[in-house]
Amino acid sequence: MKRIINAALVLMLAATMLYAGDGKKYGNDLTLKETTQVSDILANPEKFEGKKVLIEGTIVDVCPTRGCWIDISSDKEYQTIKVKVKDGEIVFPMEAKGKTAVVEGEVYSFVPAVQEESKHAEGEKMEKANKTECGDKTAEGGCCSGETKVTKVYQIKGLGAVIKS
Amino acid sequence: MNWRKYVKIIHRDLGYIFFGLTVIYSISGIAVNHVDEWNPNYKIENKTFAITPNPDSSAANETMIAYVIEQLAITDTVKNVFRSGPVSIDIFFENKTVNANLLTGNVNMEIVNSRPVIRETNFLHLNAPKKLWTYVADAFAFGLIILAITGLFMLKGKNGITGRGKWLTIAGVLLPLIFLLLYI
Repeated sequence: MKRIINAALVLMLAATMLYAGDGKKYGNDLTLKETTQVSDILANPEKFEGKKVLIEGTIVDVCPTRGCWIDISSDKEYQTIKVKVKDGEIVFPMEAKGKTAVVEGEVYSFVPAVQEESKHAEGEKMEKANKTECGDKTAEGGCCSGETKVTKVYQIKGLGAVIKS
Repeated sequence: MNWRKYVKIIHRDLGYIFFGLTVIYSISGIAVNHVDEWNPNYKIENKTFAITPNPDSSAANETMIAYVIEQLAITDTVKNVFRSGPVSIDIFFENKTVNANLLTGNVNMEIVNSRPVIRETNFLHLNAPKKLWTYVADAFAFGLIILAITGLFMLKGKNGITGRGKWLTIAGVLLPLIFLLLYI
């Protein structure tokens, strides 16, 4: 019995050493070879939307509660791009701040909820204004035409990452 | 040898084997249950400081770093740096990050310390290692089912499943059902 237990422990230890990640790789293996400059993505995000990219930069911020996003610095000053991962699938550690990361993911866009809400609220406000100031004229092409500019936010849906020490 | 003896042996030995995992998963379970109230992995402390403003947007990163760490009397080694704006800079140290705005002189220092033991239990409980650990966790989950079933048939008589055990088991099954009815 003792022999079996000892053998099992040795096997478990060996397997753990063999299979345990080096603590630097997160999620899927990186498949792309060529990196895209973050500044290129930010300069022309529509071109990259829906496409898989490989980026590299300093991790300047990490989601403090669940490790579900990181901000990666651009090759140009002052710029960053957010890499969002599925909660629990990849968990970035807080210690990653300041380290260099190579991240593979898909560029996507969304309209922040706050903007959506304000657009909705503005729409309601415009509707009221139309009724009071323009009779029952609709906003489209009328005197109270007020298009709200909605800014899309571009992020990267992170699929895999390697954090260099 | 009757079947109840085997049930007891299985329950006892699985209980021994899964003692450690049960404790690990329970500690982490409590920790992540309150994720909205605290960070189960890290103790994050934010301190604010006011330094003498020095808004030179043409200053090189090295000059800005030297100025900030001199003002804050930091002796740690700088790990990396990010220029977040013309007069603002993020300086990364081993377990702290300094965000300094040299126009206003406002500095935020974030100090991050791992919560020992709890973080490791969360790492395993939330299957961060993936790979082989996934199978260990599956075996544990299956083991818990066996433990639960064998637990029902350990005893016979008035304290067994046909006596008091029946009512306690029903109560235990009803508890999640009531909450499901209330919240779904």
